[in-house]
Amino acid sequence: MSHEELRPEEFAQAADAAIADALTRADPRAMAEVLAQAGLCGVMAAEDDGGLGLDLAFALPIAHAAGRLRLPLPLPEQILLARALAGTPQAAALAAGERLAGIAWHGSLQTGHARVDNGLADWVLVADGAGAALIDASALPREAQAALDPEHPQTWIALAGAPVLARLDEQAWDALRRQAHLLLAEFANGAAEGALQAAADYMATRVQFGRPLSAKQAVRHLLARMRLLQDVSSAAIRRATQADEYGAPRDTRPALAGALANAAFVIEKAIHLHGGMGFTWELPLHRALRAVRRLDAAFAGLSRDAGRAFIQSV
Amino acid sequence: MQVEHHVAVPDPAAGPDIYRQHARTWLRANLPDSMRADSLDWRAPSLAESSAWEAAMYQAGLAGMTWPKAYGGHGLTLREHLAVNKEIGALPMPESVSSIGKELAGPIIMAVGTEDQKQAFLPAILAMRQFWCQGFSEPDAGSDLARLRTKAVQEGGQWRINGQKIWTSGAAKAHYCLLLTRTGTVADKHRGLLMFAVPMDTPGIRVVPIKSIDGKESFAEVFFDDVVVPDSARLGAPDEGWNAAIRVLSIERATNRMYRPWRFECELRQLIAACKSDAQLAPALDDGYVQRRVGDLVCEIDGLKGLVELTVARMLRGETIGARGSLTKLYWSECHQAFAGLALSLLSHVGPHSSPLARRAQQAFTTAYLFSRAETIYAGTTEVQLDVIAQRVMNLPKDLT
Repeated sequence: MSHEELRPEEFAQAADAAIADALTRADPRAMAEVLAQAGLCGVMAAEDDGGLGLDLAFALPIAHAAGRLRLPLPLPEQILLARALAGTPQAAALAAGERLAGIAWHGSLQTGHARVDNGLADWVLVADGAGAALIDASALPREAQAALDPEHPQTWIALAGAPVLARLDEQAWDALRRQAHLLLAEFANGAAEGALQAAADYMATRVQFGRPLSAKQAVRHLLARMRLLQDVSSAAIRRATQADEYGAPRDTRPALAGALANAAFVIEKAIHLHGGMGFTWELPLHRALRAVRRLDAAFAGLSRDAGRAFIQSV
Repeated sequence: MQVEHHVAVPDPAAGPDIYRQHARTWLRANLPDSMRADSLDWRAPSLAESSAWEAAMYQAGLAGMTWPKAYGGHGLTLREHLAVNKEIGALPMPESVSSIGKELAGPIIMAVGTEDQKQAFLPAILAMRQFWCQGFSEPDAGSDLARLRTKAVQEGGQWRINGQKIWTSGAAKAHYCLLLTRTGTVADKHRGLLMFAVPMDTPGIRVVPIKSIDGKESFAEVFFDDVVVPDSARLGAPDEGWNAAIRVLSIERATNRMYRPWRFECELRQLIAACKSDAQLAPALDDGYVQRRVGDLVCEIDGLKGLVELTVARMLRGETIGARGSLTKLYWSECHQAFAGLALSLLSHVGPHSSPLARRAQQAFTTAYLFSRAETIYAGTTEVQLDVIAQRVMNLPKDLT
């Protein structure tokens, strides 16, 4: 359902404020509580599960804000699982922010292991044959893979004997993946926008040789290219949310693959433009880069898949 | 050429889907095989053939979509324009031989011309009776029109024009030149610019073709030596006309040839089909690196479709596009160069032993590769677009405020 009075853009402002508020909490669970109270975790969840029952259009600006403000929680996945598990006690717990959930983009119940991008997740959705299963990962053996992001390591979970809490059939799992592609693309695009804004603001005030660096053509052209790619990502995501000319859903893979590649470029260049400061731990752009590179690792090969699918379609 | 000339054009009130279906059906039924770049019967169309094809498209309601009915247009919105362009892009048909008339001169005349000029020029452009060329660039004034030197001096009821234009596409075939001149001196920079519709058979005009890297003579130098035109050839008042033209040009940059991403996709399909048709080329399509490059292009084409559709959505909401057209121009030109580079490499081993479709594709895409060098140069170079984005989209300061 889509609220008649409420528009996604207006919702975006509230999402911004709630995420900024959540970021003042040190404990991730306290962050989740703030987000849930503002309705963000349950934005798409059924009203019976304590959610707002809104559609994906309302979740997209939340994912964008989460990326831009560098929220260190798997909020897009939480939002989608609270919706996909409608009618289960798990959905209500996720909408209320009482538990954190993630989606394993690598591994399956059959391979016996799975990787999540954010080790905080209590519950993890794991591929299971053609569908997927929500497992309770809290007591399972796990190994942190901290090289890319020591603060929020990717985490491998051993799935032997994993307690299954709920299941999604093939159709529901496919639908969830499509929506996840779009929300995670918007998250990455938000991260890119934040990095671009930071770089543009800094270039406009950093004076060398008597003028701001933004007066230099090499800098202006690089910033213009960053802006182009960020705009392209926005346009591609918007397009992928709409049905095609014949009413069928569009392939979401190009929008995600494009958004991840574009965001990595924009954030890398934003770090570069900050000079020595860009290489410091203090400047938070490395956090945005790590978040996007985690997604890139999760969806590695997506562009090749899209290419292979195109080749097969001819 | 066998094409239907009396076509029932659907009522646009039926919605863009119906109009799109009409475009799809008509184009597929009428585009001659000899004009399909992916057909083994392809041959370079003559000017007369291209012209007849475009005239037939116009009769079928597939050109001049958004122009007012009073001037021969179909009086439709960008919604139908986009729907039709998707179908035009989906077929490998020749580029327009009258793009300067339809995308540049026509819209400018619509904005600044007198009623007599609109009646004289606009219907003729759509019916393919009149070709135009664009006389803006000069040897000393490429992107920087402040350095324009071609001079127009008023002498009673007429104007005397002296100067030189360059990179004038289609000058040899054009009936008219959309000519930009100045009434004062170069010191006036952007002031005193004045446009004319100059008949190309006026005494004193000399066209010297320039051979381009694709082997064609598609552009030329045009010399104006004491060319005298009546005051009725003037398009708008000095300054005023040119300023209005600049606004038209920014819209045109964002809306012309909307079919591009759908055409790029069509070309990519032709490339893949050509590789599949050849036993030696086909294995490359199983290579992960090639799949990745195809996938990257699919992502870029998808993003370009997104930019085009977003532009239309914004314009239909009444928003101005302004400098954002530069984003689209920059992206499509580099996207197409990337495609052409991939095509060249995938088809590099094509020879007499190769499949006919592979040989056809190699011919088509080698030409496309060479022509695509021009795409980051014309209509504002990449560097100009980057400047525009930095200055007018991002408002990046050049000084501390």
